Amino acid sequence: MKKTIIITIAVLVLVISFLVFTNIPSFFKGYSKIKICMGEATGPALKLLSKPTQLARYIYDSYFNLIGVKKENFELQKKFESLQLENHRLAELEKENKRLKSILHLVEQYPNTMIAASVIGEDLKNWFKCIIIDKGRDHGVKEKMPVITPKGVVGQAVEVNKWHSKVMIINDTNSSVDVYVDGKNSRGILEGTDQTTLKLKYVLKNDEIAIGDKLITSGKDTVYPKGIPVGIVITINRNKAGIFADVDVMPFNNYKRVDEVLIVKKR
Amino acid sequence: MKASIYILTCLLLMIIESAMFLVFPVEFFKPDIGIPFIIYTTIFLGPGTGLVATLIISLFQEILSNAPQGSIIFTKTCAFILLILLRGKVFIDSKYSFSYICGGYVLFESILFIIFSLLSRGELKNAINVLVYIIPNSIFTGFVSIFIFVLIEYLNERFLQREY
Repeated sequence: MKKTIIITIAVLVLVISFLVFTNIPSFFKGYSKIKICMGEATGPALKLLSKPTQLARYIYDSYFNLIGVKKENFELQKKFESLQLENHRLAELEKENKRLKSILHLVEQYPNTMIAASVIGEDLKNWFKCIIIDKGRDHGVKEKMPVITPKGVVGQAVEVNKWHSKVMIINDTNSSVDVYVDGKNSRGILEGTDQTTLKLKYVLKNDEIAIGDKLITSGKDTVYPKGIPVGIVITINRNKAGIFADVDVMPFNNYKRVDEVLIVKKR
Repeated sequence: MKASIYILTCLLLMIIESAMFLVFPVEFFKPDIGIPFIIYTTIFLGPGTGLVATLIISLFQEILSNAPQGSIIFTKTCAFILLILLRGKVFIDSKYSFSYICGGYVLFESILFIIFSLLSRGELKNAINVLVYIIPNSIFTGFVSIFIFVLIEYLNERFLQREY
Protein backbone atom coordinates (compact mmCIF):
# COMPACT_ATOMS: atom_id res chain seq x y z
CA MET A 1 0.00 0.00 0.00
CA LYS A 2 2.74 2.42 1.01
CA LYS A 3 4.60 1.62 -2.17
CA THR A 4 1.48 2.43 -4.20
CA ILE A 5 1.15 5.82 -2.49
CA ILE A 6 4.79 6.64 -3.19
CA ILE A 7 4.45 5.64 -6.83
CA THR A 8 1.33 7.82 -7.08
CA ILE A 9 3.21 10.80 -5.61
CA ALA A 10 6.13 10.13 -7.95
CA VAL A 11 3.80 10.01 -10.97
CA LEU A 12 2.26 13.31 -9.80
CA VAL A 13 5.76 14.81 -9.62
CA LEU A 14 6.38 13.50 -13.14
CA VAL A 15 3.26 15.19 -14.48
CA ILE A 16 4.12 18.50 -12.77
CA SER A 17 7.73 18.45 -13.99
CA PHE A 18 6.50 17.66 -17.50
CA LEU A 19 4.15 20.65 -17.39
CA VAL A 20 7.01 22.84 -16.11
CA PHE A 21 9.28 21.61 -18.90
CA THR A 22 6.69 22.41 -21.54
CA ASN A 23 6.53 25.99 -20.18
CA ILE A 24 2.92 26.05 -18.98
CA PRO A 25 2.92 29.50 -17.28
CA SER A 26 1.20 28.76 -13.96
CA PHE A 27 3.35 25.69 -13.28
CA PHE A 28 6.49 27.36 -14.57
CA LYS A 29 6.08 30.38 -12.26
CA GLY A 30 5.41 28.25 -9.18
CA TYR A 31 8.36 26.04 -9.92
CA SER A 32 10.65 29.03 -10.52
CA LYS A 33 9.69 30.44 -7.10
CA ILE A 34 10.66 27.19 -5.36
CA LYS A 35 13.87 27.02 -7.33
CA ILE A 36 14.78 30.63 -6.56
CA CYS A 37 14.15 30.10 -2.82
CA MET A 38 16.44 27.08 -2.82
CA GLY A 39 18.96 28.83 -5.05
CA GLU A 40 19.21 31.76 -2.65
CA ALA A 41 20.27 29.42 0.09
CA THR A 42 22.88 27.88 -2.18
CA GLY A 43 24.58 31.13 -3.23
CA PRO A 44 26.56 31.89 -0.04
CA ALA A 45 27.68 28.26 0.28
CA LEU A 46 28.93 28.21 -3.30
CA LYS A 47 30.73 31.53 -2.77
CA LEU A 48 32.33 30.23 0.41
CA LEU A 49 33.42 26.93 -1.12
CA SER A 50 34.84 28.57 -4.23
CA LYS A 51 37.52 30.27 -2.06
CA PRO A 52 39.41 27.06 -1.20
CA THR A 53 39.14 25.96 -4.81
CA GLN A 54 40.92 29.14 -5.87
CA LEU A 55 43.75 28.06 -3.60
CA ALA A 56 43.60 24.57 -5.11
CA ARG A 57 43.79 26.11 -8.57
CA TYR A 58 46.87 28.08 -7.53
CA ILE A 59 48.54 24.89 -6.19
CA TYR A 60 47.52 22.94 -9.30
CA ASP A 61 48.92 25.60 -11.63
CA SER A 62 52.10 25.99 -9.54
CA TYR A 63 52.64 22.22 -9.60
CA PHE A 64 52.50 22.09 -13.35
CA ASN A 65 54.75 25.14 -13.53
CA LEU A 66 57.29 23.32 -11.38
CA ILE A 67 57.17 20.23 -13.60
CA GLY A 68 57.95 22.33 -16.62
CA VAL A 69 60.62 24.48 -14.97
CA LYS A 70 63.63 22.59 -16.41
CA LYS A 71 62.18 22.56 -19.85
CA GLU A 72 61.22 26.18 -19.50
CA ASN A 73 64.77 27.10 -18.47
CA PHE A 74 66.18 25.51 -21.60
CA GLU A 75 63.59 27.22 -23.73
CA LEU A 76 64.32 30.56 -22.05
CA GLN A 77 68.01 30.28 -22.93
CA LYS A 78 67.06 29.70 -26.52
CA LYS A 79 64.64 32.57 -26.36
CA PHE A 80 67.35 34.87 -25.08
CA GLU A 81 69.24 34.43 -28.32
CA SER A 82 66.21 35.19 -30.39
CA LEU A 83 65.19 38.33 -28.53
CA GLN A 84 65.44 40.30 -31.69
CA LEU A 85 62.48 38.44 -33.08
CA GLU A 86 60.50 39.32 -30.00
CA ASN A 87 60.65 42.96 -30.95
CA HIS A 88 58.32 42.22 -33.81
CA ARG A 89 55.87 40.78 -31.38
CA LEU A 90 55.89 44.02 -29.43
CA ALA A 91 54.03 45.76 -32.19
CA GLU A 92 51.30 43.17 -31.91
CA LEU A 93 51.18 43.57 -28.14
CA GLU A 94 50.87 47.29 -28.55
CA LYS A 95 47.82 46.75 -30.71
CA GLU A 96 46.32 44.47 -28.07
CA ASN A 97 47.12 47.02 -25.41
CA LYS A 98 45.27 49.67 -27.39
CA ARG A 99 42.25 47.41 -27.73
CA LEU A 100 42.18 46.65 -24.03
CA LYS A 101 42.63 50.31 -23.21
CA SER A 102 39.68 51.15 -25.37
CA ILE A 103 37.54 48.63 -23.49
CA LEU A 104 38.80 49.93 -20.17
CA HIS A 105 38.03 53.40 -21.38
CA LEU A 106 34.50 52.22 -22.10
CA VAL A 107 34.15 50.92 -18.56
CA GLU A 108 35.50 54.16 -17.14
CA GLN A 109 33.30 56.21 -19.41
CA TYR A 110 30.15 54.41 -18.28
CA PRO A 111 30.96 53.35 -14.73
CA ASN A 112 27.39 52.45 -13.90
CA THR A 113 26.76 50.26 -16.90
CA MET A 114 29.05 47.36 -16.01
CA ILE A 115 29.10 45.02 -13.04
CA ALA A 116 32.31 43.12 -12.35
CA ALA A 117 31.84 39.53 -11.15
CA SER A 118 33.93 36.48 -10.34
CA VAL A 119 33.23 32.99 -11.63
CA ILE A 120 32.45 30.69 -8.70
CA GLY A 121 31.11 27.53 -10.30
CA GLU A 122 30.35 25.55 -13.40
CA ASP A 123 27.45 23.52 -14.72
CA LEU A 124 27.14 20.13 -13.00
CA LYS A 125 26.11 18.45 -16.24
CA ASN A 126 28.26 18.34 -19.35
CA TRP A 127 25.09 18.45 -21.44
CA PHE A 128 24.94 22.22 -21.06
CA LYS A 129 27.53 24.98 -20.94
CA CYS A 130 27.02 27.37 -18.08
CA ILE A 131 29.05 29.18 -15.42
CA ILE A 132 27.93 30.56 -12.09
CA ILE A 133 28.98 34.09 -11.10
CA ASP A 134 28.99 35.71 -7.67
CA LYS A 135 26.69 38.63 -8.54
CA GLY A 136 22.93 38.38 -8.48
CA ARG A 137 19.71 40.34 -8.15
CA ASP A 138 21.04 42.34 -5.19
CA HIS A 139 23.85 43.69 -7.38
CA GLY A 140 21.56 44.69 -10.22
CA VAL A 141 21.95 41.66 -12.47
CA LYS A 142 18.91 40.81 -14.57
CA GLU A 143 18.08 38.01 -16.98
CA LYS A 144 19.34 38.36 -20.57
CA MET A 145 22.10 40.77 -19.54
CA PRO A 146 25.18 40.17 -21.70
CA VAL A 147 28.32 38.92 -19.98
CA ILE A 148 31.66 39.90 -21.47
CA THR A 149 35.40 40.10 -20.75
CA PRO A 150 37.90 42.51 -22.31
CA LYS A 151 38.53 39.74 -24.89
CA GLY A 152 34.91 39.47 -25.99
CA VAL A 153 31.52 37.92 -25.38
CA VAL A 154 31.15 35.16 -22.77
CA GLY A 155 27.39 34.64 -22.77
CA GLN A 156 24.21 35.93 -21.19
CA ALA A 157 22.63 35.73 -17.73
CA VAL A 158 19.83 33.18 -17.86
CA GLU A 159 18.87 32.74 -14.24
CA VAL A 160 19.35 35.34 -11.53
CA ASN A 161 19.21 34.62 -7.83
CA LYS A 162 19.73 36.93 -4.87
CA TRP A 163 23.47 36.42 -4.60
CA HIS A 164 24.50 34.55 -7.72
CA SER A 165 23.54 34.12 -11.35
CA LYS A 166 23.82 31.50 -14.05
CA VAL A 167 25.42 32.51 -17.32
CA MET A 168 24.76 30.56 -20.50
CA ILE A 169 28.00 30.41 -22.45
CA ILE A 170 27.97 31.10 -26.21
CA ASN A 171 29.27 27.53 -26.70
CA ASP A 172 25.96 26.13 -25.37
CA THR A 173 23.76 24.59 -28.07
CA ASN A 174 20.87 26.82 -26.99
CA SER A 175 22.89 29.99 -27.54
CA SER A 176 22.70 32.21 -30.63
CA VAL A 177 24.37 35.55 -31.28
CA ASP A 178 23.69 37.87 -34.21
CA VAL A 179 27.10 38.88 -35.60
CA TYR A 180 28.78 40.90 -38.30
CA VAL A 181 32.08 40.12 -39.97
CA ASP A 182 34.26 43.04 -38.86
CA GLY A 183 34.89 45.48 -41.70
CA LYS A 184 32.72 43.55 -44.17
CA ASN A 185 29.04 43.42 -45.01
CA SER A 186 28.47 39.76 -44.11
CA ARG A 187 26.17 38.89 -41.26
CA GLY A 188 25.13 35.63 -39.68
CA ILE A 189 23.90 33.85 -36.59
CA LEU A 190 26.60 32.38 -34.40
CA GLU A 191 25.39 29.21 -32.71
CA GLY A 192 26.93 27.10 -29.96
CA THR A 193 27.86 23.51 -30.76
CA ASP A 194 28.74 22.28 -27.27
CA GLN A 195 32.33 22.02 -28.51
CA THR A 196 35.13 24.57 -28.32
CA THR A 197 34.24 25.97 -31.74
CA LEU A 198 31.04 27.72 -32.82
CA LYS A 199 29.07 27.57 -36.09
CA LEU A 200 28.31 30.69 -38.10
CA LYS A 201 25.03 30.05 -39.85
CA TYR A 202 23.14 31.67 -42.71
CA VAL A 203 26.25 33.05 -44.42
CA LEU A 204 25.82 32.79 -48.18
CA LYS A 205 28.50 30.99 -50.17
CA ASN A 206 29.31 34.16 -52.11
CA ASP A 207 29.38 36.38 -49.00
CA GLU A 208 32.52 38.33 -48.24
CA ILE A 209 34.19 36.25 -45.52
CA ALA A 210 37.66 34.77 -45.12
CA ILE A 211 39.65 32.72 -42.61
CA GLY A 212 41.00 34.99 -39.88
CA ASP A 213 38.11 37.45 -40.06
CA LYS A 214 36.97 38.83 -36.72
CA LEU A 215 33.32 38.60 -35.77
CA ILE A 216 31.60 41.31 -33.74
CA THR A 217 28.09 41.50 -32.29
CA SER A 218 25.55 43.30 -34.45
CA GLY A 219 23.27 44.34 -31.59
CA LYS A 220 20.24 43.17 -33.56
CA ASP A 221 19.42 40.26 -31.28
CA THR A 222 18.56 42.80 -28.54
CA VAL A 223 20.71 40.88 -26.04
CA TYR A 224 24.30 41.81 -26.89
CA PRO A 225 25.29 45.43 -27.52
CA LYS A 226 26.78 46.28 -30.90
CA GLY A 227 30.52 45.98 -31.56
CA ILE A 228 31.72 43.45 -28.99
CA PRO A 229 34.24 40.94 -30.40
CA VAL A 230 33.04 37.34 -30.35
CA GLY A 231 35.49 35.15 -32.22
CA ILE A 232 37.61 34.52 -35.25
CA VAL A 233 36.77 32.52 -38.41
CA ILE A 234 38.90 29.36 -38.56
CA THR A 235 37.39 27.31 -41.41
CA ILE A 236 35.06 27.98 -44.32
CA ASN A 237 33.53 25.21 -46.42
CA ARG A 238 31.81 26.42 -49.56
CA ASN A 239 31.65 22.98 -51.17
CA LYS A 240 28.72 21.62 -49.21
CA ALA A 241 25.22 21.36 -50.63
CA GLY A 242 22.82 24.28 -50.27
CA ILE A 243 23.16 28.03 -50.49
CA PHE A 244 24.93 28.62 -47.18
CA ALA A 245 28.61 28.14 -46.38
CA ASP A 246 29.75 26.06 -43.43
CA VAL A 247 31.78 28.39 -41.20
CA ASP A 248 33.57 27.42 -37.97
CA VAL A 249 34.46 30.09 -35.46
CA MET A 250 36.82 30.03 -32.50
CA PRO A 251 35.52 32.23 -29.68
CA PHE A 252 37.94 34.71 -28.14
CA ASN A 253 37.03 33.53 -24.66
CA ASN A 254 37.81 30.08 -23.39
CA TYR A 255 35.11 29.86 -20.74
CA LYS A 256 37.14 27.24 -18.88
CA ARG A 257 39.76 29.88 -18.21
CA VAL A 258 37.51 32.82 -17.39
CA ASP A 259 37.94 34.06 -13.82
CA GLU A 260 36.42 37.52 -13.92
CA VAL A 261 33.64 38.83 -16.12
CA LEU A 262 31.75 42.04 -16.76
CA ILE A 263 27.97 42.12 -16.88
CA VAL A 264 26.62 44.85 -19.14
CA LYS A 265 23.61 46.60 -17.65
CA LYS A 266 20.81 47.32 -20.07
CA ARG A 267 19.61 50.87 -20.43
CA MET B 1 18.39 11.51 10.62
CA LYS B 2 20.32 9.20 8.31
CA ALA B 3 18.51 10.41 5.22
CA SER B 4 19.09 14.07 6.07
CA ILE B 5 22.81 13.44 6.59
CA TYR B 6 23.06 11.62 3.26
CA ILE B 7 21.18 14.38 1.45
CA LEU B 8 23.25 17.14 3.08
CA THR B 9 26.47 15.31 2.24
CA CYS B 10 25.30 14.98 -1.35
CA LEU B 11 24.40 18.69 -1.61
CA LEU B 12 27.76 19.66 -0.14
CA LEU B 13 29.60 17.38 -2.58
CA MET B 14 27.67 18.85 -5.50
CA ILE B 15 28.62 22.41 -4.50
CA ILE B 16 32.26 21.35 -4.18
CA GLU B 17 32.02 19.57 -7.54
CA SER B 18 30.66 22.70 -9.24
CA ALA B 19 33.45 24.86 -7.78
CA MET B 20 36.12 22.22 -8.53
CA PHE B 21 35.23 22.09 -12.23
CA LEU B 22 36.82 25.54 -12.45
CA VAL B 23 40.12 24.14 -11.18
CA PHE B 24 40.23 20.95 -13.20
CA PRO B 25 39.03 21.63 -16.71
CA VAL B 26 37.31 18.27 -17.23
CA GLU B 27 34.60 18.27 -19.82
CA PHE B 28 34.20 14.70 -20.88
CA PHE B 29 33.93 13.24 -17.40
CA LYS B 30 31.39 14.92 -15.21
CA PRO B 31 30.04 12.39 -12.74
CA ASP B 32 26.49 12.65 -11.43
CA ILE B 33 27.11 12.66 -7.69
CA GLY B 34 23.39 12.73 -6.90
CA ILE B 35 22.66 9.30 -8.38
CA PRO B 36 24.59 7.14 -5.85
CA PHE B 37 22.84 8.94 -2.98
CA ILE B 38 19.39 8.51 -4.57
CA ILE B 39 20.01 4.80 -5.16
CA TYR B 40 21.43 4.24 -1.69
CA THR B 41 18.53 5.96 0.11
CA THR B 42 15.91 4.25 -2.06
CA ILE B 43 17.35 0.77 -1.69
CA PHE B 44 18.48 0.89 1.94
CA LEU B 45 16.17 3.45 3.58
CA GLY B 46 12.97 2.80 1.67
CA PRO B 47 11.01 4.33 -1.22
CA GLY B 48 9.57 7.21 0.84
CA THR B 49 13.00 8.51 1.83
CA GLY B 50 14.21 7.80 -1.69
CA LEU B 51 11.51 10.00 -3.18
CA VAL B 52 12.40 12.89 -0.85
CA ALA B 53 16.10 12.46 -1.73
CA THR B 54 15.27 12.32 -5.46
CA LEU B 55 13.25 15.54 -5.31
CA ILE B 56 15.77 17.53 -3.25
CA ILE B 57 18.84 16.32 -5.14
CA SER B 58 17.36 16.78 -8.60
CA LEU B 59 16.04 20.26 -7.73
CA PHE B 60 19.47 21.17 -6.44
CA GLN B 61 21.10 19.86 -9.61
CA GLU B 62 18.81 22.06 -11.65
CA ILE B 63 19.92 25.05 -9.58
CA LEU B 64 23.55 24.33 -10.42
CA SER B 65 22.90 23.54 -14.06
CA ASN B 66 21.57 25.21 -17.17
CA ALA B 67 19.23 22.28 -17.80
CA PRO B 68 15.67 23.17 -18.84
CA GLN B 69 13.30 23.68 -15.90
CA GLY B 70 11.78 20.44 -14.72
CA SER B 71 13.89 18.19 -16.95
CA ILE B 72 16.21 16.76 -14.30
CA ILE B 73 13.34 16.19 -11.84
CA PHE B 74 11.40 14.39 -14.57
CA THR B 75 14.20 12.06 -15.60
CA LYS B 76 15.33 11.35 -12.04
CA THR B 77 11.77 10.64 -10.87
CA CYS B 78 11.22 8.28 -13.82
CA ALA B 79 14.41 6.43 -12.95
CA PHE B 80 13.33 6.41 -9.30
CA ILE B 81 9.99 4.75 -10.19
CA LEU B 82 11.85 2.11 -12.18
CA LEU B 83 14.18 1.61 -9.23
CA ILE B 84 11.36 0.97 -6.74
CA LEU B 85 9.65 -1.38 -9.15
CA LEU B 86 12.90 -3.32 -9.47
CA ARG B 87 13.74 -2.99 -5.78
CA GLY B 88 13.06 -6.64 -5.02
CA LYS B 89 15.18 -7.76 -7.94
CA VAL B 90 18.18 -5.48 -7.36
CA PHE B 91 20.81 -6.90 -5.06
CA ILE B 92 23.63 -4.76 -3.81
CA ASP B 93 26.17 -7.03 -2.21
CA SER B 94 29.28 -4.93 -2.75
CA LYS B 95 30.47 -1.51 -3.80
CA TYR B 96 31.00 -2.88 -7.30
CA SER B 97 27.43 -4.05 -7.82
CA PHE B 98 26.35 -0.64 -6.48
CA SER B 99 28.64 0.96 -9.05
CA TYR B 100 27.06 -1.04 -11.91
CA ILE B 101 23.59 0.05 -10.86
CA CYS B 102 24.71 3.69 -10.70
CA GLY B 103 26.22 3.44 -14.19
CA GLY B 104 23.02 1.85 -15.51
CA TYR B 105 20.94 4.57 -13.85
CA VAL B 106 22.95 7.23 -15.72
CA LEU B 107 22.39 5.41 -19.01
CA PHE B 108 18.67 5.15 -18.37
CA GLU B 109 18.42 8.79 -17.26
CA SER B 110 20.32 10.03 -20.33
CA ILE B 111 18.21 8.03 -22.79
CA LEU B 112 15.08 9.23 -21.02
CA PHE B 113 16.25 12.84 -21.32
CA ILE B 114 16.78 12.42 -25.06
CA ILE B 115 13.28 10.94 -25.53
CA PHE B 116 11.76 13.57 -23.24
CA SER B 117 13.52 16.41 -25.06
CA LEU B 118 12.54 15.09 -28.49
CA LEU B 119 8.92 14.38 -27.67
CA SER B 120 8.07 17.45 -25.65
CA ARG B 121 10.05 20.13 -27.48
CA GLY B 122 11.22 18.46 -30.65
CA GLU B 123 14.76 19.53 -29.82
CA LEU B 124 17.55 17.53 -31.35
CA LYS B 125 20.46 19.75 -30.32
CA ASN B 126 20.40 18.80 -26.64
CA ALA B 127 19.79 15.18 -27.59
CA ILE B 128 23.05 14.99 -29.54
CA ASN B 129 24.95 16.52 -26.61
CA VAL B 130 23.54 14.00 -24.23
CA LEU B 131 24.28 11.16 -26.64
CA VAL B 132 27.95 12.18 -26.84
CA TYR B 133 28.37 12.05 -23.08
CA ILE B 134 26.24 8.99 -22.24
CA ILE B 135 29.04 6.42 -22.06
CA PRO B 136 31.76 8.53 -20.37
CA ASN B 137 29.25 9.89 -17.85
CA SER B 138 28.01 6.41 -17.08
CA ILE B 139 31.49 4.96 -16.63
CA PHE B 140 32.74 7.86 -14.55
CA THR B 141 29.63 8.00 -12.35
CA GLY B 142 29.98 4.26 -11.78
CA PHE B 143 33.61 4.78 -10.80
CA VAL B 144 32.87 7.68 -8.45
CA SER B 145 29.96 5.79 -6.87
CA ILE B 146 32.43 3.21 -5.53
CA PHE B 147 34.00 5.95 -3.40
CA ILE B 148 30.61 7.35 -2.45
CA PHE B 149 29.47 3.92 -1.32
CA VAL B 150 32.61 3.62 0.81
CA LEU B 151 31.99 7.11 2.23
CA ILE B 152 28.38 6.29 3.15
CA GLU B 153 29.41 2.99 4.72
CA TYR B 154 32.10 4.83 6.68
CA LEU B 155 29.53 7.37 7.88
CA ASN B 156 27.25 4.50 8.90
CA GLU B 157 29.90 2.65 10.85
CA ARG B 158 31.60 5.64 12.42
CA PHE B 159 28.76 8.05 13.20
CA LEU B 160 25.41 6.48 12.46
CA GLN B 161 23.79 3.35 13.73
CA ARG B 162 24.07 0.52 11.23
CA GLU B 163 20.70 -0.91 10.18
CA TYR B 164 20.40 -4.38 8.75
